[in-house]
Amino acid sequence: MRQAKLWWFLHVPQLLLDEQLSLQSQEQQQRPQVLCTSDGQRRRQVVQVNRAAVAGGVRVGMAEVTASTLLPDLQQRDYDEDREVQVLRRLAQWLHQDIAQIALYPPHGLLLAVHDLQRMYGGYVGVQRQLQRRLHCIAVEYVVAAGYSPLVAQLLAQSGKNILSADKAVLQHELGQVSIAQSLLPAQQQQQLQEVGIERLGALLHLPVAELGARFGRNMLSYMAQLKGELLPPQQWYHPPLRFRECLDLLTEVASWQQLLFPLRRLLQQLEAFLQVRQLSVTELALIAHHRDKRQTFVRVAFALPLWRQRDMLQLVQLQLERQQLKTPALELSLRAEDFSAREVQHGSCLPAQQDAHTQRNEQRQLQALLGKLQARLGEQAVQQAQWVQDWRPELAQQWQTSAAAQMKTAISAHLPRPLWLLPEAEPINVSDWQLQWGPERIQSGWWDGQSMVRDYFIALDRWQRQGWIYRTCVSYQSNESSEQWYLHGWYS
Amino acid sequence: MAHPLQDLVHKGWVWQGREAAEQLAPEQLVSSGWAELDRRLGGGWLRGAVHEVQVQRDFQGELALLLPVLLAQNKPCLWLNPPCQPYWPGLRYQQLKQAPLWLHESEQKQALWAFEQALQSEALGVVVAWFNTVDASAVRRLQQSAAKHQQLAFVITPWQQTTEARAYVNRIQLSWAAEQLQVAVLKRRAGWPLPAFPCSVERHLPERRRLSA
Repeated sequence: MRQAKLWWFLHVPQLLLDEQLSLQSQEQQQRPQVLCTSDGQRRRQVVQVNRAAVAGGVRVGMAEVTASTLLPDLQQRDYDEDREVQVLRRLAQWLHQDIAQIALYPPHGLLLAVHDLQRMYGGYVGVQRQLQRRLHCIAVEYVVAAGYSPLVAQLLAQSGKNILSADKAVLQHELGQVSIAQSLLPAQQQQQLQEVGIERLGALLHLPVAELGARFGRNMLSYMAQLKGELLPPQQWYHPPLRFRECLDLLTEVASWQQLLFPLRRLLQQLEAFLQVRQLSVTELALIAHHRDKRQTFVRVAFALPLWRQRDMLQLVQLQLERQQLKTPALELSLRAEDFSAREVQHGSCLPAQQDAHTQRNEQRQLQALLGKLQARLGEQAVQQAQWVQDWRPELAQQWQTSAAAQMKTAISAHLPRPLWLLPEAEPINVSDWQLQWGPERIQSGWWDGQSMVRDYFIALDRWQRQGWIYRTCVSYQSNESSEQWYLHGWYS
Repeated sequence: MAHPLQDLVHKGWVWQGREAAEQLAPEQLVSSGWAELDRRLGGGWLRGAVHEVQVQRDFQGELALLLPVLLAQNKPCLWLNPPCQPYWPGLRYQQLKQAPLWLHESEQKQALWAFEQALQSEALGVVVAWFNTVDASAVRRLQQSAAKHQQLAFVITPWQQTTEARAYVNRIQLSWAAEQLQVAVLKRRAGWPLPAFPCSVERHLPERRRLSA
């Protein structure tokens, strides 16, 4: 037998305030508190109220001035919708442990699809028990209602009806009680309905649909179909952010990274399983050693290429850890990963052209593997590759990058006889030791960014027959007067 | 009683003709780009080997000597601890296809480890490393790695004072005389050491002339 579709709508009207209250002490929670909106010139309104304030007579929708007159010691804070949506997201993530299909209705609602859960929790009663147990743990004021369509559940919950019956007749009866003001219809249509004496949804449901459609248009038709459970619009289900978090209790205090390798192997094994199921690979890990006094040691391990096998990851993590020292003994070890990427397809091909591309890709991968290994042990800055930069100033014509991943830019024309080596800092020299051979080449550039230079470059031989690239600076743009100080800037051999 | 020749053999002073008979496939040799040097090395640099280039001082012409080999590589080359920053615009002017990977590691042990890793990777072209000294056991390890993975590598080092043996396949010594780079072969695969001969590396250097005053 096919299960009838059933949804629950969780309405949390005071989510943000409840979240703030849950971070306060008991005593603080007893004080009256409200959240107010502050939109420009309009007077500030109360949007969320805690119990103490309600007891003092403050209501939602009241002007802030009125509220503070009623309760002089009222604490007011600004309402922030973005923050509330964040809290809602967190709530959804937490409920995701029980329910796979959750849709966010920001800022105050969550839609839960419960029909598929019945088999898992042993019937509808089981589902109710399970979800209620979880909802009891949260210190949030909520209304939860069932519905045979998402809209019905939403309407019931938002009108404050705590009803979890799976019986369509019961739900329909309750739905009939919902006032038009809470119908979620556009304000103008609500007014039109109220003008003809329709105050509750029950009355609306009795009207012929075709005529309602003729009067109010297509949207009304779809609305009515949803009310009757004939139309179930698709939902955007919430997907929790993908992350891997595992922790291992070490049972005894461990004083060095070497001793942590064994538990680490287990954690990486779990990560491999996690990645294998999802067909992902990872490029960055965080290892955290937790110490006795709640302090943590954080080690970031980045891979030059995406990995997923435990032994590959272990090898690189091991290299990285050989450089590190654990300052205080650890009690727990945890592994986190968030930076995932889909696996690249590796396929051999018999076509020669593709085979070429394949070997090339293979080489690239091997190079990445080598760089990953070198960087893991020697540090990320250890291996660098030069990049060409369009600049006349010799020291700015190349840039060093840590990864070889950046492909060489196409078609670089190098037509200037530049040296093979460049000294990091030009070295002052005594020109009488040098035999000028070729030159001068004047380089005058950089006047726009404050690193201007006017230099005359020569190729010269030193006493040992080595060919150097030397220059003298010119005093100013106008005159060709040169200072007598010469510098060595590069070597040709 | 041992034959007096035996003593000499033990000391490694006797070259035995056996190795010469060992035929090498042509693809196992990489032309150095200099005919006179190729002839003396028995056809070129042996692939799967570490070769030593001793220089009197840095920038003497060692890079010009190795340039033909570097130019022939399609894969990037690794330069380990070069004496200063390689300059890509200049290397590109010489038609090098890929910018070199520059690895800088001051600690000798780590640098040797990186060298060995590089030799084991098939992703690299030639590995060129600069060291002041490398002890005999390290050279043997490197040579084994290079042989196992058929990788070509060069160690550039100052003129060595000791005559202690090293496992390099070829050892050459550079000097400069009569306006030409002189190459002396101290050790080669199949043959006696050879005295210095001029090698015309000027092809890869700026033209030499006097500036007219």
